[in-house]
Amino acid sequence: MVSPHGIQLAVHLISSFYGDLCSKVCECLLRRGTLTLALLIWYTELTKENVIDCLRVLIHQNCVQAFAIEQEGAFDEAPRIVTQYMALFRNIIHKYRAPKFMQIVSEELGNDCLEIFQGLIQHGRLSINQIIDRNEQTAGSSDVHVVRESLSRLLSARFIERCPAPEPFLAPPYEEETPAKRRAKSAKLAGEQTMEQRALAAAAPIDSMRFVMEREMDDISEEKGEESTNSMPLGEKRKQDVLRSDEDVLDANRKKEVLWRVNFEEFVCRLRHKGCTSCVKTRINDEAGIVLSAILELSRHSEAQQKVEKSDYLSINAIYDKVIKKEGGLGMDFDRIRSSLAQLGCQSITTGPHESYSIDINGIIEMAQIEEAESVVLRKYGREAYRIFRLLSKGGRALETYKIAETTFVEKDDILNRKEEKNGVQNQKKEKNGILKVLFSLWKDDYLHKENVTTSAAERSLFCLWKVKEALWEDVLDDMYHAALNLRLRIAHEQDQAKELLQLPREKIVGELEKKYKLLGRVRVILESSLMNLDDAIMLFNEF
Amino acid sequence: MSRSLGSPSSLKRKRPEKDPTGLVDAERAVLNVIKSKKDLGIWAGDIAKDTNLTVPVIQKSIKSLLTKKLIKEVVNIQNKGKKHYMAVEFEPSKEISGGEWYVNGNLDKEFINVLKQLCLRYMHRQKVATLEGVHNELKKSQVLKFPISSQQVGEILYSLVLDNEIIEVKSTGLGEYHSIPIGTVCYRVASGTGAGKGPRIGAFASIPCGACPRISLCTPDGVISPSTCVYYNKWLNIDF
Repeated sequence: MVSPHGIQLAVHLISSFYGDLCSKVCECLLRRGTLTLALLIWYTELTKENVIDCLRVLIHQNCVQAFAIEQEGAFDEAPRIVTQYMALFRNIIHKYRAPKFMQIVSEELGNDCLEIFQGLIQHGRLSINQIIDRNEQTAGSSDVHVVRESLSRLLSARFIERCPAPEPFLAPPYEEETPAKRRAKSAKLAGEQTMEQRALAAAAPIDSMRFVMEREMDDISEEKGEESTNSMPLGEKRKQDVLRSDEDVLDANRKKEVLWRVNFEEFVCRLRHKGCTSCVKTRINDEAGIVLSAILELSRHSEAQQKVEKSDYLSINAIYDKVIKKEGGLGMDFDRIRSSLAQLGCQSITTGPHESYSIDINGIIEMAQIEEAESVVLRKYGREAYRIFRLLSKGGRALETYKIAETTFVEKDDILNRKEEKNGVQNQKKEKNGILKVLFSLWKDDYLHKENVTTSAAERSLFCLWKVKEALWEDVLDDMYHAALNLRLRIAHEQDQAKELLQLPREKIVGELEKKYKLLGRVRVILESSLMNLDDAIMLFNEF
Repeated sequence: MSRSLGSPSSLKRKRPEKDPTGLVDAERAVLNVIKSKKDLGIWAGDIAKDTNLTVPVIQKSIKSLLTKKLIKEVVNIQNKGKKHYMAVEFEPSKEISGGEWYVNGNLDKEFINVLKQLCLRYMHRQKVATLEGVHNELKKSQVLKFPISSQQVGEILYSLVLDNEIIEVKSTGLGEYHSIPIGTVCYRVASGTGAGKGPRIGAFASIPCGACPRISLCTPDGVISPSTCVYYNKWLNIDF
């Protein structure tokens, strides 16, 4: 479930990239969930042509995925196939992360690959012919072999991937005639996944084809056949005729070529590793950062899933070999590596002379998340609140008011305030500087959960237990989306304010105008770099 | 309402009797109640309930006992508005005084800060230290003119952990932990750039929205909006 400000940010992004009509369709899908074309037309009150055009754009930009399901017919009618559309929230948010992704490609693979990658970022999906055409237009001339070579490098680095099937068919969870055991198993599997997750899994190209470049250029007809067999799950070819309903309308002009798109998963994974390493570098030391980076690189190749909670068990020798190859790791010996592994909290297994280590990646991410929330508490509520929040988040359990005051060295309040504490009211006239003032402000802003405990009727027996709110991370993430939206709106506002100035030729910008121009540039740099930094924090909560 | 009259002598007001210590009956009764409460002390209102004396008599007795220095006034941390009394021979209990860190019902922040600074200075010198190590150092340094318990030092160290000035870790027996047995809880300052070097300001906290008290009222076209936000103007240093 996407948070309210997450939706607002996504809608704003779509609106600024692809216009208001697309944003209306996208907002409808984000707020109401998966919909059919008819329902989309009904809810958005747009014409059928407009909705179809918008969906075409959104699908092409990887923001919407279509899939077909079998719907039971009413009044003894035969079941029919219905096309559903779902918004891909994460892909929409990835739109403003493009500079980060491009930087990674540029650093790792150079400018030729960056050129192709930029095209895919801009256009969403492109075939190899389109990539060559685009290269010709931008660079003037294009060598087909160089393009194919760059594409192949992008594929082997997993920066791009084959597009998913345009409209996979989702079979009903189980067939009636299947044996009982299989039925139970498939029902269990279906219960674990939502319809949207099943659709995404069905649409994804099989792993062996995902990053493999075929000889599309040589034999388009062969390619055509290949795509139709590879992009559709087995046993669904027979349903192609009924599946073509919406697909035909949306993809009337689509040539049957293999389309390529950016593989966001790979970038998220790399940024996740980078985030973990930098967190460890700041929390422990550079050596621990180098060791962690080596472990992550070693376990990267065996990562079947994108988000592994714990790394594989790796032998100390393998870790050592990797560490000494890294920058700053040359002088490290086994003892220093072992010390860093212990500081990282690695679990170890020793069998005979072999010792292996595994690291809890999720633990590092949780640590970074807590640190981010703590810094907000510090900035917003002060040092005493910071100390209290850290005490409660470290303990992970509820604590009584006076116990908190004693541990954090915050002034205790007297019984009059404790009565108010029980009623959950704060007397504005009466100035309070003690523990309750701090706890109340955190509680009012939904950082803490409060529970009253009464042991008897006497006044002395009023107790209040406080703990960090369970769903706090969702609220923090929503606030971050709000802040990211605000930053983007402010950037747009600043651009709008200086519209006339920006339209002037550069040589006319002198004197007072030049000052303004420089100020605008400075403001833009501050806002954009803050947005990118904030996005690192958003990814920490949402993507990692 | 009828009232039987006694002999004239019985109507005569009795002169309060004085004991060898110079206390009258009422004063003695009040003192006994106060003494019976030991280090918990008692509120004047509760004395009235326990002695069945009238409030003016109790007030007078308390005043007299205070002058004779037989009782003292103490601040009850749980109820600072109500005056509590305690016999001079007792010291207020932890429930009344608030604990070792409280003086006259107020948290002794200055003393706490001095101790924190002393511990931190030692930690920066040592990099890694155990509770006993810090405690011994404080005793040896002779900066403090009074004894300090190991528990108090532990509380100070934990407060520094909560301040993110130091980190609580378990000794691995390797590297800088070589002098500390494996598994012993110890404290260290970080050699990294973040933890153990004071709180780090995160990406969200470093922009105005992260600390905005009005964020819940902020909408794109509302009265409070990012386009007109005063905090943004201040942050970006834009003069209007």
